[in-house]
Amino acid sequence: MSVKVYLVDDHRLFLAGVRAELDESFDIVGTSHDVDTAIEEIRGLNPNVVLIDVHMPDGGGIAVVEGVMSTNPDVKFLALSVSDQAEDVIAMIRAGARGYVTKTIDPAELEDAVGRVHAGDAVFSPRLAGFVLDAFAGAIPADEDPELDQLTTREKDVLRLIARGFAYKQVARKLNISIKTVETHVSSVLRKLQLSSRHELARWATKRRIV
Amino acid sequence: MATTYVAPFGRRRTDRVIAGVAGGVADSLGVSHAYVRAAFITLGTVWGLGALIYLVLWLVTFEKVADNEANPVDPTRAFGLGLSFVGLMLLLAGMGWWPNPALVLTAGGLAFGTAFLTDSSRSGPLAALMDPSVERPSRVRLLVGVGLLAGGLSIFASTVGQVFEFSAVFLAVALTGLGLVVAFGPWVRRLMVDLGEERNERIRQEERAEVAAHLHDSVLQTLALIQRTDDPAKMTILARHQETELRDWLYGTMPLDGVDLVSTALKQVAARIETDFQIPVDVVTVGDRPVDDRTRVLVAAATEALVNAAKHSGGDRVSLYEEVTEEWLEVFVTDHGKGFDQKAVASDRRGIADSIMARMAKIGGEASIESEMGEGTEVVLRLPS
Repeated sequence: MSVKVYLVDDHRLFLAGVRAELDESFDIVGTSHDVDTAIEEIRGLNPNVVLIDVHMPDGGGIAVVEGVMSTNPDVKFLALSVSDQAEDVIAMIRAGARGYVTKTIDPAELEDAVGRVHAGDAVFSPRLAGFVLDAFAGAIPADEDPELDQLTTREKDVLRLIARGFAYKQVARKLNISIKTVETHVSSVLRKLQLSSRHELARWATKRRIV
Repeated sequence: MATTYVAPFGRRRTDRVIAGVAGGVADSLGVSHAYVRAAFITLGTVWGLGALIYLVLWLVTFEKVADNEANPVDPTRAFGLGLSFVGLMLLLAGMGWWPNPALVLTAGGLAFGTAFLTDSSRSGPLAALMDPSVERPSRVRLLVGVGLLAGGLSIFASTVGQVFEFSAVFLAVALTGLGLVVAFGPWVRRLMVDLGEERNERIRQEERAEVAAHLHDSVLQTLALIQRTDDPAKMTILARHQETELRDWLYGTMPLDGVDLVSTALKQVAARIETDFQIPVDVVTVGDRPVDDRTRVLVAAATEALVNAAKHSGGDRVSLYEEVTEEWLEVFVTDHGKGFDQKAVASDRRGIADSIMARMAKIGGEASIESEMGEGTEVVLRLPS
């Protein structure tokens, strides 16, 4: 059964390009250029994966993710954006996206990313891995939940290898674990990024804004 | 040898009413022009003393050669000078020099009131008290100033005569002032608002011009270049280069004053390699360090590794990862090309590897190279913090 994909982007030229690239591998059930249409149609069509841009008028990608997550929790979002700014990336993940790739990604990798998100895995670009390592670096206050606010050593190892540009297969080999284990670690990191106490990541975000 | 005469200050050429004396005084003292003018006017009502001083100053000074030599306005000093001026006026009053208290007070109130309303440089005596960003006048000066003021006021009260007379004059001046504010207040206020809006519009236009200039110099040029080439690889590199530059301009991190950062240095190197060898270099940085003698060598070693990867790896891209932990500064140069068999390389042909390792060893760091046939090569540089 073909994977149902929905595209949301206010940049029409780009949307047409992505559609052409993915048309053969997936079932593109619909597209839209604005937030309200997107929310409405996604709720109706219930696609498997939604490719969504961050920067759009009326609330942007985050508004769509939040609007849909409440009614259609099975829809998986993959953020696809020009921006590679930490604030945008982290914000989308925390809103509920399962991955973030930039628009310079080549078609084969994009196809792979959509497939992985559909399978329930997280898609981490090297840059996102870098952001996460940066966000979780530094001391954690003792009274906060250590589970959500710290990365395990293994998770850090995985993220570092991703940041260095290795594919999951190579990461698995270097750490002597299975690819599935790598995916589990990445998903766990995603969960922490989404649920971690606001205080930690807010502090980190503020620090970055000052730089 | 002729002695040269040095004037106490230079008179203004532009932005003046009569001869630029008040402006010149203002520029050299670091106070606002409006208040100096008001002081001259007020002094002028004391038997023309203000006019006399003005004339004398006119005679002994020359016009400024260049008009931008104004000293920065110093609100604290202005406050002190303001108090001194009030003290001077009271002294003159105490000596019986005021021809008509009402005249002097009205003139003074009007002159300084207008100055206060229209002074946009916010440097007047009261600005020191009202401006939160300015350091408060030193306590000693404040105390001395207030003391002088109180002393002067009491002398004034005792010499002018009955307290009743004093307050009648004050009442007259106060009522006049109130009348003026009621009559002209809204108009003055609107003038100030309009001036503010005009200034904002001008700032906006300047910023727009700046953005346009930058885009013209960079993005338009690149787009033109892209259209002139047939080579897709070259197009990609041009576009990538411009993208990086535009991102840095839009979101760029500001270097700490004068201190260069390792991450910036590495990004610059990566951009150069991209252009020179037409291969994408992905840069990810976690944490940062300032550039010093040791890290400079590390960046040089990284450059060597990058050039090697770009030239010989045969891969389609190179990854550069920098991380600062508590113990180390680490840089990984990774390519996903053909790799090489480490055991097979003869010890006398180790070239690059030896060079990089020697460099790192000299600064107390270490380097290692890992490669796998068909998978790629990774150079790891580590420097203890």
